[in-house]
Amino acid sequence: MVERLGIPTASIIGSGFLKQAEVITKGVGVPLAIGVYPGAPMVDSEAELKRKVEEELAPGILRGLTGDAPPDLNTEVEPAPGAVVMSGTYDEVQEHFYKQLWTDGLPIVPPTRSRIDAFLKFTDRNETDVIRVLPQEGREGSILSIAITGVMAGCRPEYMPVLIAIIEAMSDPKYRIEDSGSTPGWEPVVIVNGPIIKELDFNYGQGMMRVGRQANTSIGRFVRMYLRNICGFRIPPGAGDKGSIGQSFLVAMAEDEDSARAFGWPSYGEDRGFKQRENIVTVHSVVAITSPMYSGGDDAKTHVQQWAEVIAGSFTYWAHTGFKTGLWSPLIVAGPSIAGVIAKEWTKAQVRQYLYEHMKVTAERATHYARMTSTPTFSFENLVRDGILPPDYTASKDPERLVNIVIDPEMVEILVAGDPGRNQSRAYMSNHVQGPPTSRKIELPKKWKDLLGAKK
Amino acid sequence: MATNEPKYDVLWPLSRKAVKRTAAATRLPDLNDKVVAELWDVIFRGETIYPLVREYIKKRFPRVKFVPYNEFGNFHGAREHEVSATIPDKLKAFKADAAIVGIGA
Repeated sequence: MVERLGIPTASIIGSGFLKQAEVITKGVGVPLAIGVYPGAPMVDSEAELKRKVEEELAPGILRGLTGDAPPDLNTEVEPAPGAVVMSGTYDEVQEHFYKQLWTDGLPIVPPTRSRIDAFLKFTDRNETDVIRVLPQEGREGSILSIAITGVMAGCRPEYMPVLIAIIEAMSDPKYRIEDSGSTPGWEPVVIVNGPIIKELDFNYGQGMMRVGRQANTSIGRFVRMYLRNICGFRIPPGAGDKGSIGQSFLVAMAEDEDSARAFGWPSYGEDRGFKQRENIVTVHSVVAITSPMYSGGDDAKTHVQQWAEVIAGSFTYWAHTGFKTGLWSPLIVAGPSIAGVIAKEWTKAQVRQYLYEHMKVTAERATHYARMTSTPTFSFENLVRDGILPPDYTASKDPERLVNIVIDPEMVEILVAGDPGRNQSRAYMSNHVQGPPTSRKIELPKKWKDLLGAKK
Repeated sequence: MATNEPKYDVLWPLSRKAVKRTAAATRLPDLNDKVVAELWDVIFRGETIYPLVREYIKKRFPRVKFVPYNEFGNFHGAREHEVSATIPDKLKAFKADAAIVGIGA
């Protein structure tokens, strides 16, 4: 950005991030001068850090500002969208796509024109429409690219309206798709609400997060493949995805709306501000998942207390990232049998309030975790001063004071789904401002019912 | 050997790059009397690294001036979009001739 203002700029980059820097440089179209820090600064002694800065990083920075201008790396010539890139047998297609880093390591459905056209029938939009030019390779998030990726991921053509809504949600600047390759290795999960759950046969019951149901599974795969192919988040031998360990795609979630409605709770879609029976997708980052949360009893408090203990036990460590950014959203997938017990006594707002008040960490531990991760300068005082956290986080100077893990009760999200025959729930933690819950209405084509009927 | 296997004409699975390319700014062989702005995302020990870089450059260009990173705020995280939007005006106000940006690690 600064270089674009005509100001020569040099960036400080760790040696393990050079390939990612190259991908980003190409994507923003600005040459990048780099000073390289060898290795990981968070594990070097003071003396080692000083030596590396003086011997390698600082000379590189100086060269970047005073030496030759960095080169333009955007020199490749690529095919036109919609071009046929090869003709081959099934195995030849698989091999070519794998070598080009265009697959996720599994066989793909060959994206032929006829298959793609079948997807395009399920939208009233033109294949050349662009939702947004997407980081980090600067590629167009076009309707055609969605159809092609949907074909490759094994989706059915009728999933196309859902796929478009997913990319619309992920294109929202607040979602920060550009951070999809950050080192925590978070993964998006798609949550579906509305009548389309049944129309497309999503699993919202027992085994809902297993592969096996085509709608849940292929849509989850689509998301990861889109991030890889269109946005450019690839693991080695590619580049751009710096998830240090990472995790693989999550199958799409759908809500057991019948159960939620039966015991008088609003659906997750309604919580997100939409009307009952509107078809909605929400995309939500997941950086960590609790163990299964079993809870028993016929009173609300016993169940929610159990949730508080398990969620706090699982997510306390990473809460500092929410403190630094003022946002993180634990998503609770509440088993229908449990949610039914709670709903007899408590509203969702009461559940959120209880969790807000009963999940705590000492200021000292949170500060320690932040300093271990990336931020030696972490301080609650600075975050309160800057308006990122509310004043109660510095109500005292006692390092052993307890602070709320959840910053605002409204950040707790609740979805009813899972096995109605068992007493289990689970919670999914977002990665602070990276991939916060972001929703879009699913726009169906005018002839949706006819098209769907013809498919069946 | 001839095969009866069907052939698939497959489309390019990526999409057009819509990148606005910008040429690199002219470099400054002499940093004496120039203003270097520091932009920091408040992670990865920048509080130690930036002063060391500053010192290294000052040894070679004693009259260089630095605008420390705290003048610009954290361009990553909670206020990323808001802070980033203020940077061009601040660079202009400080009459920055060059910039150091970090830390990607």
